[in-house]
Amino acid sequence: MSIIRNNAEQQFAEELEEIKKQDINPVPANWSMSPQAVVTYLMGEKLKNGFEVSPKYIGDRRLMEIAVATLTTDRALLLYGIPGTGKSWVSEHIAAAVSGDSTLLIQGTAGTSEEAIRYGWNYAKLLADGPSKEAIVETPLIRGMQTGKCVRIEELTRMSADVQDTLITVLSEKMLPVPELDIQYQAVRGFNVIATANNRDKGVNELSSALKRRFNTVILPTPKTAAEEIDIVKTRVSSLAKNLELPVQIPAVTEIARIVKIFRELRHGVTEDGKMKVKSPTGTMSTAEVISVVNSGLALAAHFGSGELKANDIASGLVGAIVKDPIQDDVIWKEYLETVVKTREEYRDIYRACKEQ
Amino acid sequence: MPIHVLGIRHHGVGSAKMVRQRLEELGPDMILIEGPPELDEVLSFVGVSGLQPPVSIMIYNEKETTKSTFYPYSSFSPEWVATAYANQNGIPVRSMDLPANVTLSTVFRDGQKPILEEKLSEEDVQEPTEEELDHPENDKGNIDLEKAMQITHSDPMSHLAKLAGYKNSEEWWDYMFESKGQSDTPAEHFKAVMMAMSALREENITSSLDVQNIYREAYMRQIIRKAQLDMYENIVIICGAWHAPALLDVEANAKGDAKLLKTIPKVRTKLKASWIPWTNDRLSMYSGYGAGISSPGWYEHLWAYDTDVSIKWLTRVAELFRGQGQDMSTAHVLESYKLAISLCQLRGKSHVTLAELNEATLTVMCMGDAILLELIKKELIVGNAIGAVPDDIPKVPLQQDFEKTVKSLRLRLSAQPKEQVLDLRKVNELKRSVFFHRLKMLEIPWAVPRSSRTKGTFKETWKLKWDPSIMISIIDKAYLGNTVHLACLSKVDQLCQKSKKITVVSALLSKTIPAELNECIDKLLSKIDELSTISIDVQDLMDALPKLINMSRYGDVRKSDLMVLNKVVDRLLTKVFIGLPNACYGLDEENSERVFLLVSDLQTAIKINDDKEKTEAWLDAISKVQSKEGVHDIILGCTCRLLLDAERLDYDEATQKISLALSTANKPQHVASWIEGFLKGSGMILIYDNRLWNLIYDWVNSLEQEVFMDLLPYLRRAFSRFEHGERRQIGSKAKKGKISRVNISDSKEADDRWNEEAAVDIFGTLEMLMG
Repeated sequence: MSIIRNNAEQQFAEELEEIKKQDINPVPANWSMSPQAVVTYLMGEKLKNGFEVSPKYIGDRRLMEIAVATLTTDRALLLYGIPGTGKSWVSEHIAAAVSGDSTLLIQGTAGTSEEAIRYGWNYAKLLADGPSKEAIVETPLIRGMQTGKCVRIEELTRMSADVQDTLITVLSEKMLPVPELDIQYQAVRGFNVIATANNRDKGVNELSSALKRRFNTVILPTPKTAAEEIDIVKTRVSSLAKNLELPVQIPAVTEIARIVKIFRELRHGVTEDGKMKVKSPTGTMSTAEVISVVNSGLALAAHFGSGELKANDIASGLVGAIVKDPIQDDVIWKEYLETVVKTREEYRDIYRACKEQ
Repeated sequence: MPIHVLGIRHHGVGSAKMVRQRLEELGPDMILIEGPPELDEVLSFVGVSGLQPPVSIMIYNEKETTKSTFYPYSSFSPEWVATAYANQNGIPVRSMDLPANVTLSTVFRDGQKPILEEKLSEEDVQEPTEEELDHPENDKGNIDLEKAMQITHSDPMSHLAKLAGYKNSEEWWDYMFESKGQSDTPAEHFKAVMMAMSALREENITSSLDVQNIYREAYMRQIIRKAQLDMYENIVIICGAWHAPALLDVEANAKGDAKLLKTIPKVRTKLKASWIPWTNDRLSMYSGYGAGISSPGWYEHLWAYDTDVSIKWLTRVAELFRGQGQDMSTAHVLESYKLAISLCQLRGKSHVTLAELNEATLTVMCMGDAILLELIKKELIVGNAIGAVPDDIPKVPLQQDFEKTVKSLRLRLSAQPKEQVLDLRKVNELKRSVFFHRLKMLEIPWAVPRSSRTKGTFKETWKLKWDPSIMISIIDKAYLGNTVHLACLSKVDQLCQKSKKITVVSALLSKTIPAELNECIDKLLSKIDELSTISIDVQDLMDALPKLINMSRYGDVRKSDLMVLNKVVDRLLTKVFIGLPNACYGLDEENSERVFLLVSDLQTAIKINDDKEKTEAWLDAISKVQSKEGVHDIILGCTCRLLLDAERLDYDEATQKISLALSTANKPQHVASWIEGFLKGSGMILIYDNRLWNLIYDWVNSLEQEVFMDLLPYLRRAFSRFEHGERRQIGSKAKKGKISRVNISDSKEADDRWNEEAAVDIFGTLEMLMG
C-alpha cells in the first residue's frame, strides 16, 4: 500500500544522494553532508555534474545560511514567524539534509507533558523489575542525543512553560540526567534541536529568557514579492498533486498568480498597484493557505469538475480560507469582492463563482 | 623618476591602512592626492592637534557662498592619512584635479561642452532650509565631487562584483580590499587594484562620468608632469582606483592633454577653502551629502583595531544594548561570535565582515527582530561622531564669532537633540536666549523655539540639534557681518528696507527685542512712521497695532525707544480712528470677516494700552461705523456689541438697535452675520441677558422653516466658536423657551442675597494679593 506523504529524506533521496557525491567541503561530525551542501539542498542549484537540485525554500538565501550555521554552533535553532511561512517545512528539510532523518519529532501542544520530552516509564517493566534502563521509554529527544541527530520540536510555544524549560539542561549541558537510576544520557556530536514557533496565535506561552538564550532565532517572513510567492505555490502544488495522484493538469502560472494576488492584497491591506486600501481579514492569509486553496481546487476539479482548474473549483476554498470569522471577515471579503475583484476584467469568472457561493 | 600610483577607495579603511604602510616603505619626496588645487592652502593643517575628523574642507566663493563644494575626511580616509604622513615628515603635498573654480563656475552652464553636466545640475546649491535639512535626500545641491567619484568607480566595478557573486560592487570591494586585514603586502595590494582596474578599462567598460573624467585625468597628468619638472624624484600619487591606470603613462599623453585642457575656459573667480566640522551621518549614504560609505562607524572601528576586530565589535554592540536596558550577557557575545565565524565558513569567506556580524547580532542578540538592529545601525554602524576644528585655523569671521559665543555661553554643538529650558531671570540664560533669538533672526537652524510647558514669560524652551549643514548656513551668512550681532543688524536692515507693509516691519520689530538688537529699533520705528504716512491701508495698520502696543506695554524696550514707540503707536491709532469708518465701507464677505477679527484684536490691544483719551476716540470711531451705510453686518454686530460693553449705548438704545437688526424685513443671512459679529465667539451674553435672549428667541421663531434651514449653517458657524459648556447652557435655556420675567441679569434676586459682611471679609486678602 502506498503512503500518503513521504518524508523529505524519502521524497528527495536522489537529490540528497547526488549532493553528497558532489560535496567537497568538510563534513561536521555525524552530519550527512557539509553545511554548504545543506544550503545548496535547501536553496536548489544546478550541481557541477548537471544534476538539478530543486529549491525547497524560496526566499532569502541569507536566512538559510544563518539557520544552517546555527546548527554548527552549540546553539539550537528556533524558526519563528506567522503561521504558514514554511517553518515546519524548512525544519523538516534541514533535519533531512543534516541528519538524513526528519522523523525525530516532538509535537508541542498544550497537553504535551514532560515525559514526552524527557523520558517515560514502561510501567509493566517498572513494576516487574523495578527501575532500570530497560524500563525507560525513550523519547525522540533521547534518540537524537544518542545518535547525534537533529530533533525537531514543532510549536514550541504551545507547550506550557515548565515543560519548555525541561529543554534547558539538554540544550546547555548537552545531557539528560535520569535521577531515578543515577545515570545520564550524554549527547553525541551532531545532536541539535530545531524548534518552530509562531507569533500570531493566542494561547501561546512565552519562552523563558533562560530558554530563549539557548536558541538562535530566525524569523521567516512572508514572501517579499508576488513572483516569489507564485513560485512557492507552484512548486508545492505540483509536488502535492503528484503525491495525491490527482488526474488533473497542473494549473498555469497565470491561474496561481490570480489567487496569490488576492491573498497578497488582503494580507497587506492594499491593492498590488498601491492605489487602493482594503481591509485585512482576521486570518493569517499565508502562503500555506494559498497552497491549500489551490490544492482543494485541484481535487474538486479532478473528481467533480472538468479535470482542469476552473474558477468554480477555487471559489469555495477561497472563501473558506479568507472568511475565518463569519461576521467580520464576511463583510471584509464582500467589500473586497465588490470593490476590487468586480472591477477587474480578468477576474470576472472568479467574481461570478464567488458570488454564487 | 619613478611614480607610484596608489589606487584607493575614498574613505576606504583598508586602503588607508595600505597607504600608510606603503608610504613608509616608499619614503616619497612628493605626495599628490586627488582633489582640486584649492585644497592646498589648508591641507597643511592636517595633523594639527585639535583638528579632529570627521571634518570637511569647504571650498566656497566668498562673494557668493551658496556656491560651495565639500571634501569630507574621516580619520580613515586614505587622503587624510597620506596628508598627515606628509605633514609629519615634512614632505610637500599637492592636490591634483580640476580646479574647483572651473567645476563650480557658471562657464559650463551655458558652455558647449558636456563636460560637467552632473556638476552643473548641482550648481543650484541653495542654503539648506529647514525643510531640506529634515529631508536630506532633497538637497541634492550639495552632492560633492567625492560623491561623483564614487559613482565613477562603483559602476564599472559592478561587473567584477557580479562575476564574484556579490550583490553590488560596494560589498565586493569592501570584502576584497577594505576589510581584509593584513594578508597582502601593501605593494601586492596596490598591484592587485591596478590590475583589476586596468582589466576593466581594457575591456572598454565605461563609467557614467567618463566624459568628465577625460578632462580630469588629463589635468591630473599635467600636475604629475609639473611635479616631475620640479625635480621631485619619488612621487606617490593617491587617487580613486578607477583613475589609477590612466595616470601611469604620463609622458605619452603630454601633447594630447595640453590640447584638451586648452579647451577649458579660464575662470578667474577666487575661491576660499576652510575646515568645517563634519559628522559620520554625513559621511554615510543615508544623507544627501554622503561621501558614500554606508558604515563609517564600522570603518572607524576597523581603523582603530587591528586584532580581534569582531569580538571587540560585538562587545560594543552588547554594551550598547545594555545601555538601553536590554539584558545582554557575555554568553550572547560569545554565541554571536561563534555564529559569525560559522557563517563565514559556510560562505567560504576568509574573514568576518560586517554582514556576518549583523546577522549574528540579529539572530542571537535580537531574537531575529530587525527593529533592534536599527539601533546598532544608527549608533554604531553609522555612529554620531562629530568633528572639531581648532580655533587657530583660519575661519570665516562670522563662524569664529559664532564658535566663540557658543563657548562663552557654555553650550555644546551636539548631533544629539537636546532641550534647553531657559530662565530669563538668570543673566547667563538670558544671554543664551538672546543668542538663540539672533540665530533665529539669521535663519541659522540650530536652536528651534519650543512652546514652554510652564506658564509665565520668563521661561523659554529651545531645542538644539547640531548638523554640519548649519555651519554651512553660517558661512552662507558670512557676507552679512563679522559677528553674529553685526550680521543680525544688517539682516534686519535688509529686511526693513525691502518691506512695504507695516505688519512686516512690526513683526520684525517684535523679533528684534528678544534678540536685543536695540540699535535697529530706531530705524524700524522710523520706517513704520514713514510707511504709515504714505500707507492708506487701514487693515495693515490695524494688523500691526496689537503687536506694537504689546511691545510698548510689556516689551523690554529702552526708555528712549519706548518714547518713540509710544509716539508711533499714538499716531497709528489716530490714523486708524480716522480711517476705520471708510475702511469698513463696501467690503465683501471675506474682507469683512477680516476686519471683524482685526477690530476684535484691536479692541483687546486698546484695553491693554489703557489710555482714556484713546479709548474714547476708539469708541467714537466705532460709533461712526455704526451709523454708516454700506457696512457689512458682521462688523455692525461686532461694533454694536463693543459699544454696549463700553456702556456707550444704554440698554434701551441697545435693545432698539438689536431688534432693528433682527427685524424680519432684513435678509436672514444678514441677520445671521450680525449675530455672529455681535456674539463675538462667546455665548455668555445670551445666558445672562434675558432681554437679548428673548429678542433672538423671537427672531428664530419668526423664521419660516425653509429659511431656517438655509440659515442653519451661518448660525452654526456663529455658535460653534462657543465653549462647550456655554453651548450646553444655551441649549438647556432654549428648552425653557422665552423667559417671561425680564429684568437685566436678574439683579433683584442677586440683591436679595447680598451680604455686606461677607463681602468685606475678602478685601484684606485681595489687598494682599494685589499689593
